[in-house]
Amino acid sequence: MSASRDMLCDTARAVFAEAAAKGVAPVEEAGFGSLLVPEDQGGFGGDWCDANEVLQIAGVIVPELPVAEVIASEALQPAAMVSLMAGAMGQALALSIEHVNMRQQFGRPLGKFQAVQQSLAVMACEVRAVEAAAAALAVRLDVANLDPSVVGFEIAAAKLRANRAVGVVTSIAHQVHGAIGFTEEYDLHRVTIPLMRWRGTHGNDAHWAQILGRQVAGFGGRGLWEVMTARGA
Amino acid sequence: MQGFALYPFDPPGDIAALRADLRGWLTVNQPQDDVVARANCWASFDAGFSRALGAAGYVGMTLPARYGGGDRHLLERYVVIEELLAAGAPVGAHWIADRQTGPLILRYGSEAQRERYLPGIAKGELYACIGLSEPGAGSDLAAVRTTARETAEGWRINGQKIWTTGAHFSHIMLALVRTEEESERNAGLSQVLIDLDTPGITIRPIIDMAGHHDFNEVFFDDVLVPHGALVGERGQGWKQVTAELGLERSGPERYLSSHALLAALIDAAGPDPDPAVASLIGELTAEMWTLRQLSMSTAAKLAAGEDPMVEASVVKELGNAFEQDMPRRVQAIVDCAWEGSDDLARLLRALLIASPSFSLRGGTREIIRGIIARGLGLR
Repeated sequence: MSASRDMLCDTARAVFAEAAAKGVAPVEEAGFGSLLVPEDQGGFGGDWCDANEVLQIAGVIVPELPVAEVIASEALQPAAMVSLMAGAMGQALALSIEHVNMRQQFGRPLGKFQAVQQSLAVMACEVRAVEAAAAALAVRLDVANLDPSVVGFEIAAAKLRANRAVGVVTSIAHQVHGAIGFTEEYDLHRVTIPLMRWRGTHGNDAHWAQILGRQVAGFGGRGLWEVMTARGA
Repeated sequence: MQGFALYPFDPPGDIAALRADLRGWLTVNQPQDDVVARANCWASFDAGFSRALGAAGYVGMTLPARYGGGDRHLLERYVVIEELLAAGAPVGAHWIADRQTGPLILRYGSEAQRERYLPGIAKGELYACIGLSEPGAGSDLAAVRTTARETAEGWRINGQKIWTTGAHFSHIMLALVRTEEESERNAGLSQVLIDLDTPGITIRPIIDMAGHHDFNEVFFDDVLVPHGALVGERGQGWKQVTAELGLERSGPERYLSSHALLAALIDAAGPDPDPAVASLIGELTAEMWTLRQLSMSTAAKLAAGEDPMVEASVVKELGNAFEQDMPRRVQAIVDCAWEGSDDLARLLRALLIASPSFSLRGGTREIIRGIIARGLGLR
């Protein structure tokens, strides 16, 4: 990652930590509303790869605040949500790993049990898939100069893939946590409840599956491959 | 495991032209055989096609020119193999030699081995199989018992390999054998290159549940190979094999084996599909698109000289699940007679029957998940 993106992420972490207590005002005051505005128009001049990183951090620290609305236009909200979901899923995975390595039962950490290891591997695959979808979508959006009408295929694919990961990620995260993960005081629900909500926000599975499925039906069987390869690499 | 970083897939040269040239070549040279042969096509043997592909420069692409290779970038080869798989070309004959045996000989082999084997591999004429599994060593590969003992004349090999894909048409086997007496587990293992026409080798077919002859059992009865058959460092076989498996797990074959079925589903659905079918096409497309991103990123990481062991396992796990679920989901939605004669019905039946093997070959699902779990910092 570039040095300027590293700095941006550090700023985002600090600002979002403050926002977690005070609401969205510090996010607006710190200028995140101009993250995607070009420098010659007085903005930060960031791209969607920057926004992807910032939104993933928002998905971890302030999933309940409207950070995506501050940063991106209405038409880009489904794309922004993929990044938020990737961040929240990464946090659910991190909490789960920490918990199973610490919590002991039958005289050893939960993470030593193969059943738990296999569950977490399944979860990790889903999380990596959504992170990859968010990152690939970001690259594509930047190539398209953030014109969502050109990136309809990738937005649909990425949001649908993220939606489909929600059930696996939230259920395994809660299962390996046991009762503590179901409490108000423990942090897991701070990412799992938003994930449950986001699956149905800016297009649930059926919504995007219909859009993408009808689009691909128009490409034809061979056409799908030709379109996919023409749209990247 | 660190958070996922997307490695930019950025091959040198004009990739659009590379694709277009290959697509044009395929329209002329791809056998117009049965649509079922296009599914799981990296198990389809066609020596004539492999030779033609080699002559056109699409085999051994990354090997140096002095060994007959194409001196091309790893990611140029990636583009070529994803095109071949998406087209359902019969690449099974040279597949293993091109994907892993050639690169492994280049990396660990002696100069004599490179000169002896690599030109044939690059021509698409010399085929290889991998001697890993044994009756007592499946997922527990470190239980390998086949021995190679050093004698004055060379290495004497005794033992048995099993589930060896393509041994019946291959010229060479790269085998993992125990070279050190009294050694245990993953110590004391070495890789040897065995010419399969050497006396003392017996190859017997094992017919799979689809009625196909892909894998074999191979017996070694006092087989004598020269001293120079050892590949790489004596006793380092485990390390070399582990590196080889990374090449085996992350390629586009992990999500494109069943592509013919998705294409047939889309064609059968027509431009105005029933909502349930449209939904399924949408879901499968989203999964495939994501897998392609993961696979390309992993290939790019490999090309950058890093070891994407965990990422490769993620690609295999998700790719296997995608490919095994696809025929089941199609069957659940589309009314298709089991004995139907249309393309969709025949592909569906073939893939339903073939797909249990997907999460067995190249490392079982359980082993792959174990590797991922270790990458997460568990156990």
